[in-house]
Amino acid sequence: MKGLGFLSGGGICFVVAQFLAGCGGHELRTIQARTALDAGQPRQAIEYINHELGVGADKDMPADLAGDNALLVLDRGTIQQSLTQFALSERDFEASDKAIDMLDLAHNAGDSIGEYIFSGSAGRYNDQTNAKHLINTLNMINYLETRDLSGAKVEARRLGVMQRYVKDELKEPNNSILGLGGFLAGFVYEKSGNADEALRWYDDALAFAGYGSLSTAIRELASRGSYKSPRIAKVISATEGVVDSPSAEDGGDVICIVGYGRVPHKIPKRIPIGLALTMVADNIEPTNRAAANRLAAKGLVTWINYPAMAPEQGGWGVPSCTIDGQAIPMTEAVNVSAEVIAQWRKIEGKIILSAITRLVTRYAVGEGIEQAGNKSPLALIASLGAQATLTALDTPDTRSWETLPARVAVGRVRVPPGRHTVTASARSATRTQPIDVARGGWVAVSLQALR
Amino acid sequence: MGRIWTAQGGRSSRHQEPARAVKFSEANLVEYGFVVCCPPTRSPKRDRMSRTLFVPFTLGFLALTAGCGPRNEYVRGSQQPGIDSAAMSTGLDKQDIQQMLQENLNNLRVAPVMDTWRKGGGKTIVAVFPFSNETTEHIESQLGAILGEAETWLVESNAVTVVARERQNQIIAEIEGNRNAVFNPAHVAQYGKQLGAQYFLTGKVQTSDERTEDARRVQYFFFMQVIEIETGAIRWQHKAYVTKMVR
Repeated sequence: MKGLGFLSGGGICFVVAQFLAGCGGHELRTIQARTALDAGQPRQAIEYINHELGVGADKDMPADLAGDNALLVLDRGTIQQSLTQFALSERDFEASDKAIDMLDLAHNAGDSIGEYIFSGSAGRYNDQTNAKHLINTLNMINYLETRDLSGAKVEARRLGVMQRYVKDELKEPNNSILGLGGFLAGFVYEKSGNADEALRWYDDALAFAGYGSLSTAIRELASRGSYKSPRIAKVISATEGVVDSPSAEDGGDVICIVGYGRVPHKIPKRIPIGLALTMVADNIEPTNRAAANRLAAKGLVTWINYPAMAPEQGGWGVPSCTIDGQAIPMTEAVNVSAEVIAQWRKIEGKIILSAITRLVTRYAVGEGIEQAGNKSPLALIASLGAQATLTALDTPDTRSWETLPARVAVGRVRVPPGRHTVTASARSATRTQPIDVARGGWVAVSLQALR
Repeated sequence: MGRIWTAQGGRSSRHQEPARAVKFSEANLVEYGFVVCCPPTRSPKRDRMSRTLFVPFTLGFLALTAGCGPRNEYVRGSQQPGIDSAAMSTGLDKQDIQQMLQENLNNLRVAPVMDTWRKGGGKTIVAVFPFSNETTEHIESQLGAILGEAETWLVESNAVTVVARERQNQIIAEIEGNRNAVFNPAHVAQYGKQLGAQYFLTGKVQTSDERTEDARRVQYFFFMQVIEIETGAIRWQHKAYVTKMVR
């Protein structure tokens, strides 16, 4: 009976392991899609994601968006944009934007307990790198491509809400991820005829990058609007006396947006407890440190699993955009990879700490079982079984927006009305787009080279 | 089995023998509000066994329930009358639309402009132009529904003659050009004249959207107005509010 009890303990752990054994890290769910993107086959990548989502077509949504599927839909939205399937990309971004917002708000103490006891991926997804603020920015590109200013304004307003949240609640006024959004939202309001709102957004954008191509637009907007700021004044004074050709009435504006590479995704990493203790020496609680030191002293199977950043993909590409063969000067609007890595560095210690806590918990569970069984051989087996099961269950949380472009560059040029050809390229991906520019009109052309 | 893990943040009243609880030498679980309790009496053999079983069983239960949720199913509104009452998102749903429209149209019913129309014996021509979305939500389809409801209400009032939407779209295409046949609020007077309408009904929805760490609140402000085309004067205007929140 006694033996049965101990074995039952290990048995239950085994059953639990069966339930969770299939749940590899998120990076395993997306490895095929990433490999396809690396090979320059975005169509294939979408097929893999559709398969993971359990849907048959690019337009289908999974039955359940409440869990990690939201991230896959987000990845699919980015790839759809790279395939110029803008309407479908809009849908994916909007659905995942809401679902991720919901997950973010729903992240509660229960999730934290799961993260500290079972596995880093036990809780609901919580974007720790603030990359989600780019959802509205990338979706604005979809609306600009489809010439839907009303939809683009909705995304700009949503971005505004997140921008306030990042600045006021997260106290991160210098988050450069917001700069690209400022450039695009400014363009949206400029073309909607709202000069002050456009200037306000451009002012935000100028805080992060030079955007030399905006000087003509800012001068024209300032003559119609009343918004003033030191940055706007500087742009106006720097371009005083410069005659641009043609004027807004005589030509049309073309903006070119090129995203390339992919931000570093997360990978599971195993390090010895001794090394982990060194890494978080200043932050670990004394009780945990003592327990972890004892474990380190044992020197047996004392590894911790935690998520780390993989290398960035394709961030060193050179983006280019031409119109009728003439190069459009491109400005790097945002280095997303740098921002994601910087955010990750801020929380990496906490992630390692929670992994150490899980290790200590496993050890405590084993010790408890051994003690309850009076340290008999069977109790030892049950204890080892329980610890091994919990170790197997400990999946580092590798969930992230993996298809987010590593960098985004933008350019803007005014051209005479009529038919033109825009060619955007980066990382061996090229998009050639014939466009019709109306007098006083505008056109947006984008390329996402996610390889 | 008698041992209970509570997440109440305090000690359970059943915690009578702390010394007999499974000993977690690194008591980090307690940090999160877990309290381990034991039953007061039991045979030592059975107690040892249940202690051994307790930890993996509880961990297993928590791990399993963490991944479990109810299955999805399709339901019919006519069979579940309360189906419309739950808020599903921060967007506008049928209940919000009805509430906002009811408030505004009840006000229009008793407005002076309605009396003027009634006196006209239903001959006054009114166009209903799209409501503009100035919110943080993609509610274009809901605005289309509002437009349709308002149009229906006007037609059923028998106080005016409402211009058909197809005719309006033709005029918009004529004025804006077929390549960009999108309603432009700046040209409503021109549309109205071409349609032979004396008034037009329109509106807009704006939001105040705020986000904190654990909540998002969207406050909707729904404005409706009747404008006299000849003079550009606002003959009636009213507003209604709806708030949605996720937390």
